[in-house]
Amino acid sequence: MSANLFKEDGAMPGRTNTLKRGAFTAAALCLLIAGATVARADETWDSLKKQNFGDRAIQAEDGVVILDAPATAEDAAIVPLTIRVPPSVTQNLKSLYLIIDKNPGPVVAKVTFGPAAGTGGERKFSTRVRVDNFSHVRAVLETEDGTLHMASKFIAAAGGCAAMQPKDPDTENEGLGKLLVKTFPPALSTTPLFDAQVMIKHPNHNGMQLDVNTAKFIPARFVNGMTVKRDGELVFSMESSFSLSTNPNIRFSFGRGKDNALDVAVTDTDGTVFKAQTQPSGS
Amino acid sequence: MAGENDKFGAMAKQTLPSRSDVLLGGLALLTLPFLRFGPVRADDAAAVKEIAPGVFVHQGRYELQSEANQGDMSNAGFVVGRDAVAVIDTSGSAIMGRRLRAAIRQVTDKPIRYVINTHMHPDHVFGNAAFKEDDPTFVGHYKLARGLMSRSEQYLAASKAMMGAETVEGIEVIPPTLAVQDKTTIDLGGRTLILEAQPTAHTDNDLIVTDTATNTVFLGDLLFSVHVPTLDGSIRGWLELINQLKARNAARVVPGHGPHAMELPEAVAAEERYLSTVAKGVRALIEQGKTLEDATRTVGISERDDWKMFDQYHVRNVTAAFAELEWE
Repeated sequence: MSANLFKEDGAMPGRTNTLKRGAFTAAALCLLIAGATVARADETWDSLKKQNFGDRAIQAEDGVVILDAPATAEDAAIVPLTIRVPPSVTQNLKSLYLIIDKNPGPVVAKVTFGPAAGTGGERKFSTRVRVDNFSHVRAVLETEDGTLHMASKFIAAAGGCAAMQPKDPDTENEGLGKLLVKTFPPALSTTPLFDAQVMIKHPNHNGMQLDVNTAKFIPARFVNGMTVKRDGELVFSMESSFSLSTNPNIRFSFGRGKDNALDVAVTDTDGTVFKAQTQPSGS
Repeated sequence: MAGENDKFGAMAKQTLPSRSDVLLGGLALLTLPFLRFGPVRADDAAAVKEIAPGVFVHQGRYELQSEANQGDMSNAGFVVGRDAVAVIDTSGSAIMGRRLRAAIRQVTDKPIRYVINTHMHPDHVFGNAAFKEDDPTFVGHYKLARGLMSRSEQYLAASKAMMGAETVEGIEVIPPTLAVQDKTTIDLGGRTLILEAQPTAHTDNDLIVTDTATNTVFLGDLLFSVHVPTLDGSIRGWLELINQLKARNAARVVPGHGPHAMELPEAVAAEERYLSTVAKGVRALIEQGKTLEDATRTVGISERDDWKMFDQYHVRNVTAAFAELEWE
């Protein structure tokens, strides 16, 4: 599935051969001035749309999905995005695409929802992303009836590609794989949705960081998959790209179940699997 | 889709010149050949103040880099010994580096043997090229080269976007030829400078420079005054280091941004209060299960009136602090 994701968007068809190309692409993108970026935004989206959704109609800004994002990415390495589906929308959700038009590997995440994703309130999905440039960020949500809904925001990325550099390269691999899962039970026992958070310690190397000691690019190694189950039932599964920030952080809502115990499995591009569970919580 | 005005408003706030700046910049470019002979000549000596015998400091502006300020946005200094001169930070462009060099030459003809950079940020290192003709030893923290080289393209691109192609001309990324691993001294004849590499704080390559003759301590961006601190390393490391700084015996300290000289321990009080407020606020929200967005909206807002450049850097500081402290 992951391989498909990257083939679809065409930005990262293979690992080793394209690392350097990716880096050059990133550098070239950095050098683009904002004006040129803005002018070409629609063109970029047209081709991304075709690649990911073919000729399907997309209802833009119809209120079914809402995207919260800062207008300016104060720290382009950590741009918080929250996708909300208001309580007035009662359908089950099928999938969610997070797309940053101008990033190398524009499809940041593709989320497939399961039966434990829940209904009956405001459903939320949040994460933090790297924004490589001035870019449109999009959330495309597929509801149960097969309709595509989109919300988008334009983000001015302040740090540009310096965002791709860790603040302290000597400590960024410390504790790699540490996985923290928390559930936040609602105040009322009748509220049908819970909140939860998954944090994983992972440098999410994008293959664009230079190791100046060896003058080579640090090989890409990033979180590319996550599965969350509640009491054994799927909340969501996600395929992700290196555009997730270092130490990926996902917050989401899920439907109230019997024990509300979460099982989380995270995979990275090295094939390592990280797992964690929460204890039963509320009921 | 965001409106055009929103887009450009947002850009102007953070990294890019506003539309009027662009227009002014365009006009400035057209008139550049004439301006060279006008009052803002590129090679005019930078204003410096002698804060102790043989110790000079140029005070940078509390601004983002721009074509108008030529990258003059951080403090730079120099120390004159019996035999030689050491420069401590070189401001944010080759033009500013040349203006600093001109200021040195108004004071002394002694050779400039050392150019020391207190850390990797462009506003402290992009004037380095102006001193190449002196063939000095370039000095920095042992992690400075890595920090610089891995960001050089982005730093150059950002400087060009903000200051314009003419102003960035001549800027070169020059890594240190003398890397300080722990502690090193250099001799200027009759006075020595002690160079101390620090653990990750403002960045991962902060260097403290002490002139032993006058006990003047150049703290680089480990000390901000008036200008809000900017966090590009570790808030925990920085607060820890501030604790050590308070106990330090110094006749005076020179901030990377702020007045020419200050005194310990009062000098670090405001910065410590700001960073502690941010750390405390962020920790409290993490404890309550709140989000990064919650933190950027509420933490440290009480500090807003006490700092210049707050709107440009505060949210970024809170973001960096949150990402660090949520793993405690």
